Amino acid sequence: MSEQADRLMAKRREFLKLLGMGGAAGAAALTVGGVAPSQAAPAQPETGYRETAHVRKFYETARF
Amino acid sequence: MTVASASVAEPTDRVTREIPEEELFRAQLYSLLSRLLAAAPDAALLATLGRISGDASELGQSFAALARGAAAASAADAAAEYHDLFIGIGRGELVPYGSYYLTGFLHERPLAELRDALAGLGVVRVPEVKEPEDHIAALCEVMAGLIEGAFGDPAPLTVQRRLFERHIAPWAARFFAELEAAQTAKFYRVVGRIGRLFIGIETTSFAMTASDELDRRAT
Repeated sequence: MSEQADRLMAKRREFLKLLGMGGAAGAAALTVGGVAPSQAAPAQPETGYRETAHVRKFYETARF
Repeated sequence: MTVASASVAEPTDRVTREIPEEELFRAQLYSLLSRLLAAAPDAALLATLGRISGDASELGQSFAALARGAAAASAADAAAEYHDLFIGIGRGELVPYGSYYLTGFLHERPLAELRDALAGLGVVRVPEVKEPEDHIAALCEVMAGLIEGAFGDPAPLTVQRRLFERHIAPWAARFFAELEAAQTAKFYRVVGRIGRLFIGIETTSFAMTASDELDRRAT
């Protein structure tokens, strides 16, 4: 990664952390008990989309 | 619908090693918002949320408020509130779809444009889901998936930014502000506040990383 990109990413990281995105009370707190990525999961493995490598499945939370 | 399998565990492990903490935090926050906006929290989720904490930032304070609200709410309260807010009789107090916010109607051009964008990202609806893709919960889930690599490799910031700026930023802040102020909202008020703050943070942090060079690297 070039210097300019590095600088941008460092600035971004600093900004996000400053605003509470991360740190001790951050990610660890939010994932307590696996709150976060539990809803999106492959409920049904294969469909007709399989033939296209680039088409992947979008799993939406079941609400209805 | 929580079917864990090896095929999803593997990328998560890989991602956890390679994605910086603050970026993963974004994914987790998108996932949390997605979950809470897709359905009311059940008792187990309320119990979990009751234990989260936050730092001194405005967002961190909102997490602490979310924890207090979760501890005070029953699953039945939350379900009734969710119903009044998003389902209602005929319609709920809020209509959480991009097309509705942008045009006043469901299923309009913004939805078609979003579908094109999602197709370009290789993301499609599972067949049994009837809900349009511009539901706020779906958009949050897609953002989380792009960050974590649920649809393949983790998406570069430029790709995330494009989806966010075209399909989320134009209306999501208004939606979350309305949720924060909704008459029937109690527990969900703070969800609205967290969403509003987060959309603001995303807007600024994407803008600060907008650069031709990063764009070139992403293509």
